[in-house]
Amino acid sequence: MFDKIKEEYLSLMEKEKLPYTKCKTCGYVFFYPRDFCPKCNSRDLEVKISEGKGKVFSFTKFQGKKGETIYGIVELIEGFRMYANIFGDVDIGDEVVVSFINDSGRKIPVFKKK
Amino acid sequence: MTFKKYEGSTFQLLSEVVSKAMEMASINSREIDGLLFTIIPGTFDGKANVHFPSFQLSSFLGIKPKYIDVIDYGGPSALTMIYRAFKLIEAGEIETALCVVGGKGSFLRENRVTADSVDKFYNISLTPFDEFFRVYEDMNPVTDYALVAKRHGKLFGTTDEQRAMIAVNQRKNAMDNDKAIYKNPITVKDVLSSRMVSDPLRLLEIVYPVDGFHAFIVSKHQRNSNLRPIRIDFYGEAHWTEMPTEWKDIVYTPTVESSKGVNLEKIDAYELYDSFTITVLLEIEDIGLAEKGKGGKFVENTDTTYRGEIPINTGGGSLNVGQPAFMSGGVILEEALLQLNDMAKGHQVKGANRVLVNGIGGWNRGHAVTMVLEGE
Ligand SMILES: [Zn+2]
Repeated sequence: MFDKIKEEYLSLMEKEKLPYTKCKTCGYVFFYPRDFCPKCNSRDLEVKISEGKGKVFSFTKFQGKKGETIYGIVELIEGFRMYANIFGDVDIGDEVVVSFINDSGRKIPVFKKK
Repeated sequence: MTFKKYEGSTFQLLSEVVSKAMEMASINSREIDGLLFTIIPGTFDGKANVHFPSFQLSSFLGIKPKYIDVIDYGGPSALTMIYRAFKLIEAGEIETALCVVGGKGSFLRENRVTADSVDKFYNISLTPFDEFFRVYEDMNPVTDYALVAKRHGKLFGTTDEQRAMIAVNQRKNAMDNDKAIYKNPITVKDVLSSRMVSDPLRLLEIVYPVDGFHAFIVSKHQRNSNLRPIRIDFYGEAHWTEMPTEWKDIVYTPTVESSKGVNLEKIDAYELYDSFTITVLLEIEDIGLAEKGKGGKFVENTDTTYRGEIPINTGGGSLNVGQPAFMSGGVILEEALLQLNDMAKGHQVKGANRVLVNGIGGWNRGHAVTMVLEGE
């Protein structure tokens, strides 16, 4: 089950779609894949596609390999949060949208200021 | 014992530290029947791992344990080791335990990685979902704590100056501590003009990884040692095992839970895990010295030096002693024991009898341990 969810996540990302998991029992939504609901322990889960819109929950700027880099937490409108790199001059609460970049042969979700 | 860079092997360093501890406790290695330790990847002579460390450590130190325990909470491990050793002795399982935490920080430091980003140096996986988490450019744990500091500022108006006060007061405590590597006085202005590492955290708010071990011996026998008998008056641990993105908010730590029920009335000193200034601020709030969000005001209005009303990190903390092998737990525990034995030369809190020690760490800062030590 875990491997299947992970695979589904990866193939959705290749299609530039942002996956998340919803618990069909209690409705809890989360990003990091597990094969049970961390809130109610149900195994009745479904992988869904996010609209990719959210707000900056927190962020930090540092000197990365290619100059100034932003690492942050984004809260998506569906209610889950995830870590990601963010592009653009942002502040906490700013609206961002998902975008995909190529990284070591695969596509990974990052966020850009709306 | 800590060094900016120890030239010998990690095993040699371990041997030196353990010998000294045994001497203080007036005991030899054959009298040790319990071994508890913490090792994290990359801190033993640059190798990713020690192969079966339970065997290698016992064998190298000449210990024949009846009981071995590996505790891998990172930062707070040191505190848990002491607690479990007490419990094992109380239960009659063992008589004397050696608790070891540390290693070399210099190797990873020189290769510009930390214990939280060893996957960027060794070909190892850190989590079950590395593909969705470890693909980003970060500088954890600095960036992770920077996210917390940033949000704390936004939610509660906590200022850079308030966080800087923590570094300034801890430096005052370090000035006469022989163990400190940083002793010259600093001002809020110095902290705020030090290099920005990960906004809003600056260089003087961040621990420096060093080489070193701490060895603690817990025994039911006093022998010829003149160290004071100590008891554990309070112990709590908590583990928040979801990613911090799934916590109610990142401005809380599991200390909220590990410190539940602790009585702060007669605490003479607080040794709070200080990987960063923001870590101390969070603990001040989470153990209940200040309400959530009021930690900034607390540090602004309270003398937290060892002579002050609420002494915090009385020896300067690991911000000034250095952080051995990416874990500060040994540093704060050692300071607590020195305080209780009236051995904290140059930074002794007068008549210290009850000391609260709080640790936070491990993967995703998900582990917290709160402990009150009391002299008998
Ligand atoms: Zn559920």
